[in-house]
Amino acid sequence: MALDRILILAAASLLCGIFLRERGRAWFLLIASVLVIFWLQPALPIRGFDFWTPIATLVLVVLTWYFTADDETRKQRKNTIVLLIVASVVLLLNLTRFVPQLQIFTASRPPQLETTLIIFLISGLTLLALSRLTRFSASFLTLGLILTIGLFLTLKVPALTYWTSYALRSLTGQSLDGTRNTDFVWLGFSYVAFRLIHTIRDRQMGRLPSVDLGEYLTYVIFFPAFTAGPIDRIERFIKDLRAPFAGLTLGTFYPASQRLLLGLFKKFVIADALALIALNDTNALQVKSTGWMWVIVYAYAFQIYFDFSGYTDIALGIARLLGIKLPENFASPYLKPNLTQFWNNWHMTLTQWFRAYFFNPITRWLRSWQKPLSMPMMILLTQVATMLLIGFWHGVTWNFTLWGLWHGLGLFIHNRWSDMTKAKAATWAGTPAKQAVLNISGILLTFHFVAFGWIFFALSSPVASWQVLLKLFER
Amino acid sequence: MSNEIIASLAKFIAEKILKQPSKVISADEAIISSGLIDSFSLMDLALFVEDTFNVRIEDTELNAETFDNLTQLAALIASRK
Repeated sequence: MALDRILILAAASLLCGIFLRERGRAWFLLIASVLVIFWLQPALPIRGFDFWTPIATLVLVVLTWYFTADDETRKQRKNTIVLLIVASVVLLLNLTRFVPQLQIFTASRPPQLETTLIIFLISGLTLLALSRLTRFSASFLTLGLILTIGLFLTLKVPALTYWTSYALRSLTGQSLDGTRNTDFVWLGFSYVAFRLIHTIRDRQMGRLPSVDLGEYLTYVIFFPAFTAGPIDRIERFIKDLRAPFAGLTLGTFYPASQRLLLGLFKKFVIADALALIALNDTNALQVKSTGWMWVIVYAYAFQIYFDFSGYTDIALGIARLLGIKLPENFASPYLKPNLTQFWNNWHMTLTQWFRAYFFNPITRWLRSWQKPLSMPMMILLTQVATMLLIGFWHGVTWNFTLWGLWHGLGLFIHNRWSDMTKAKAATWAGTPAKQAVLNISGILLTFHFVAFGWIFFALSSPVASWQVLLKLFER
Repeated sequence: MSNEIIASLAKFIAEKILKQPSKVISADEAIISSGLIDSFSLMDLALFVEDTFNVRIEDTELNAETFDNLTQLAALIASRK
C-alpha cells in the first residue's frame, strides 16, 4: 500500500476515533472497509473486473455469514439494514461511472450498472432460495469450505490463474493474445479466505459465537488488516467491537501513533532502502562476487522482516485508533535460538491458524490410528505437510514448494535433534556463560537457515536459487 | 484438587515431554510462549489431559492465549469437569 493511502486511512481513523462513538464508529468501520476494498483493488486488464472482484468478496462474505449464522441471529432485522446500506454504497460507487471527478475509489471507470444489478439479483435470489429451505443442512458448510479452497487454488496455481484469465477475457469479449497468469489479482483474498475458513470450521464444531452481518463483514474485511493481516480470531475481534467505545484518549493515542510511526519507519525507510540491494531475480544473475552475494541475501532477510512487520505495525496502530486491538504478528523472530521458536514468532497469526485448523487435527487423527506411525514419522509428515501448505499459501510454484520443504524438514530435524540432546544440553549449560554460548550459536544458526530459505522465496526459479546458494559457498 | 492436577501435569511434562524427570515446572511458568513445549508436544499434553481428566481440549485451544501455564490449564480442566 502506498504511503499517501496509509496516511489518508490513518487520518480518517483518527477523526473517527475522536468524533465517533458506539454506533457511529460501528458504521464507520463497516462503510470504510467496504470503500477500502474497492479503493485498494488494483486495476485489472480484464474489463470490469477491478470493480466486480471487490463485489465478489462482499457476496462471498455475506453468503458465508448466512451459512454460519445461527437461526436467531439470521432473522434479525438489522442484517437487512446492513445489507441495504452495503448494497447502496456499492451502487453509489458504480454510479461514479457517470461523474469522472468522483472516481476516486476505483482503479478504473466503474463498468455498466446493469451487471452489478444482475449480480445483486442473483445473490439475492440465492439468499432467498436458501432462506426457504426449511432444514439448514451442514453440507452447505462443507460446500462453502470446498468452494473457498477451490477459489483459493484458482488464484494461487499459475496455470489455473492463466485459464481463469483466459475464460474471463473470452467472457468480456477481449483479445486473448495478451492473456497472462498475472491478469487476475483478487486483492485481500488470501486473508479473507483464512477468516472464512476459520468461521466455517468453528461453526461446524459448534464454537462460533453469534455475530450479526455487520459484525461479520467488519471482521472479515476490516480495512487495516485487509491486505496484509494479521488474521484475527472472530471471538477476539468482536469482543473489542462490542466493548463500549468512549472515543480516543491520549492514553490510547500515544501508543497507537507510536506503533503507526514505527511501522511507517520500518516499511518506508528501512525496508524500502534495503529493497535497493536485496536479492531479486535480476541481481541474482548480475552479482558476481561471493561477498556481494552474502550482502544481498542478508539484505533480503532484513527487508522482508522490516517490510512485513512494518505493515503489521501500521495495521495495529491504525486499528488501535479505532479502538480495536489486533493480535501481534511478529515477536523478534530473528532473535530466536531455534527454528521451532522462529515459527512461533514469525507471522504468528498465520502459524496459529495453521496449527488450529491443520496441524492439530492431522496430528490428532494420526495419533488415533490403531497402529500409529512411529513418532518421528508422524512429526516428519505433519511438519512437512504444514510447511508445504504455508508455502502454497504464497503461491503454488516450485520455489514456494522448495521453501516449504526446506522449513518442514528443518523443523523435523530440529525436533529430532532437540529430542536427542535436550537432556545433555541442559546438563552442559550449567553456567550463564555456557547458556549464552548455546543461545547465541542457536540464534546465528537459525537466522542463517531462514536466510537461505528466503533464497527460494525471493526468486522465481529453482535453478537461479541453487546458483545463488552455490555462489555463497564458492571458494 | 487444582494442586493435584497441576502436580500431575508437571510430572507428565517433565518426564514424557522434556525427558528430564528431575525438572521442576512451577505452576506459573510460561510453557507455550517460552518455547518449553513445541506444537507437537502440545498435542501430547492435550491427549494426556483428555485421557486422564476426561475433558476435551479443542484443536483451536492449543495456544498460549487459552493457557500458558499450569495454573491456567488446571483451571480450564476444572471448569470442564
